[in-house]
Amino acid sequence: MDQGNVRSTGTALGVDVVDQRDYRPRRGPMAWVRKHALEIAMATPLFLYILFFMFVPVFQSIYFSFVHEGTSSFTLDNYRDVMGRSQFGEAFRNTLGITAFGVSMEMVVGMGIALMLSRAFHGRGIFRSIVLLPLGVPTLVAGAAMLYFVGFNGYLNEILLDLGIIDVPVYWQQSGVRGMFIIALADLWKTIPLVVLILLAGLESIPGDVYEAAGIDGAGGWQKFWHHTIPLLMPSITMALILRAIDAFRIFDIAMVLGGQAIPVMSSFVYSDYRAGNTNTAAAAAVILLMMIVVFVIAYIFLVERRSEVNR
Amino acid sequence: MSATQVPASTPGDGIASGPRRRFRGGNAGFWVLAIVVAFFLLVPLYVLVKVSLSTLAQATAPRPSYLIQDPTLDNWRRLLTWDVIGSPLQHSLTVATGTAIIAILLAAPAAYVVARLPRGVRYFVILGILFTRMFPEVIIATPIASNFFSWGLNDTDLGLMLAHLVRTLPLVAWILVGSFEVIPYDLEESSAVDGASRIVTLVRVVLPIAAPGIAVAAIFAWLDSWNDLLYAIYLFLTERTLPLEVYYYANRGNVTDVATFSVILTIPVVIITLFLQRWIKSGYLSGAVKG
Repeated sequence: MDQGNVRSTGTALGVDVVDQRDYRPRRGPMAWVRKHALEIAMATPLFLYILFFMFVPVFQSIYFSFVHEGTSSFTLDNYRDVMGRSQFGEAFRNTLGITAFGVSMEMVVGMGIALMLSRAFHGRGIFRSIVLLPLGVPTLVAGAAMLYFVGFNGYLNEILLDLGIIDVPVYWQQSGVRGMFIIALADLWKTIPLVVLILLAGLESIPGDVYEAAGIDGAGGWQKFWHHTIPLLMPSITMALILRAIDAFRIFDIAMVLGGQAIPVMSSFVYSDYRAGNTNTAAAAAVILLMMIVVFVIAYIFLVERRSEVNR
Repeated sequence: MSATQVPASTPGDGIASGPRRRFRGGNAGFWVLAIVVAFFLLVPLYVLVKVSLSTLAQATAPRPSYLIQDPTLDNWRRLLTWDVIGSPLQHSLTVATGTAIIAILLAAPAAYVVARLPRGVRYFVILGILFTRMFPEVIIATPIASNFFSWGLNDTDLGLMLAHLVRTLPLVAWILVGSFEVIPYDLEESSAVDGASRIVTLVRVVLPIAAPGIAVAAIFAWLDSWNDLLYAIYLFLTERTLPLEVYYYANRGNVTDVATFSVILTIPVVIITLFLQRWIKSGYLSGAVKG
């Protein structure tokens, strides 16, 4: 059976070559594996990595949060313990406040800048580069830069004093509304390019004749914006809002630099609790943070997306 | 309809302008707004540079000056010595470069496979990859830190690379799927007809076309690792990376050194981001599908 070794079906040499391979469809899982061996070999390392270094740790954390330290018997004590601490309550409130305040500011400012950039004007290129600039600045540095504004002798107090709005410098770096404000402000600065890019992409995909038609119907600028731009922009708004809210819940770098232990957020609370040697309560706090994010995303999708679908 | 054509010719004009009379009146307001926005976006960077050029006394004065007065390079001279910056710079460079290389080696083959999946399955996989973004990093970092300590991977570049890959891989995979799926399958088929094997086709045909996307993904991975504080603070106890230096100086309240280190950390990122903008635009595919 010499012909069994012949592999090429080509006629390049002018010789008819008989293809002896079996082209009947094979059945069974092993045949599928053999057929896609290359693909499986290419994809497996990534998915194994994600499984072992991402999903396994998440389940480890969930497991840690439900067992006693040392023994591995089931308990809810970690949750009871962590929720009873005042530092945790502060971290919880700060995280919610920063997310709510920060993300709504980001959406409003981002929408404004995206609308500006969607117009043609001289210097648009330079303006666009300036708007995108914070994208190239590490998040940590955005927080560090804010230090010089919100410090007791910082520029925020300096400006407010010069304008005569306050008489005595304000101490900004403390837990509560002030801390939420300064962290949200630093976050706004850092993330504005991302929000603008997403919303601008959405704006540019709206066909111009929508506005033409609306103009003929006699709609004013605000009406056009409210009844045409916003509904058409909804997918982009949803994407920007969910992406930003998830990151705002997880905020770490800026809070660590600006607030340290003085303004705890959920992530920095988990870190400092872990550093203090309480792996199990740290894991419980981390699981609570995960639940906050999951609940937010599900609630947003059900409340906002469902309703806008009904309206359509 | 053509008789009442709205003069707004560019697609964006109709959005912000509204009725024409307000458009004229709003022009001055528009410029003021643009300048205010640009000012607020630029001023934090200006302040960082300013503080890095001032003495500690100037920087901590009760009423700080708005403009740069008597600039000094003392901070830069003190910090830009090998004793101070050598070790953190080495760690940051090694970890960022290693993370970028491993991320591409792991993600590129898998991204190619995902890009060639049927549409519905592909969408599902990409959604799954993005879904992992919902995990707070601390929920992953806490057990990883425990595990790495028992494996002796704390304070090592390898350990930090492995940790940075956790965050980087989904992003890199996502970018790469996007750059592989636009490559027409016809190219591969014609290569196969010409007698090339699958692997030769992948290396000689697919890889060069995907090169810009791979470069962009690698740069993203590099930046992500370069900027990271979270995993570094979990895993590095005695050693430092550049972001850790910024954090510890900020914690100690040394304002001029924080600013100087921040500028040092930012400079490569700004350069790379500028470089990146050029790369994204290059139309690599245009010549490939001629038939």
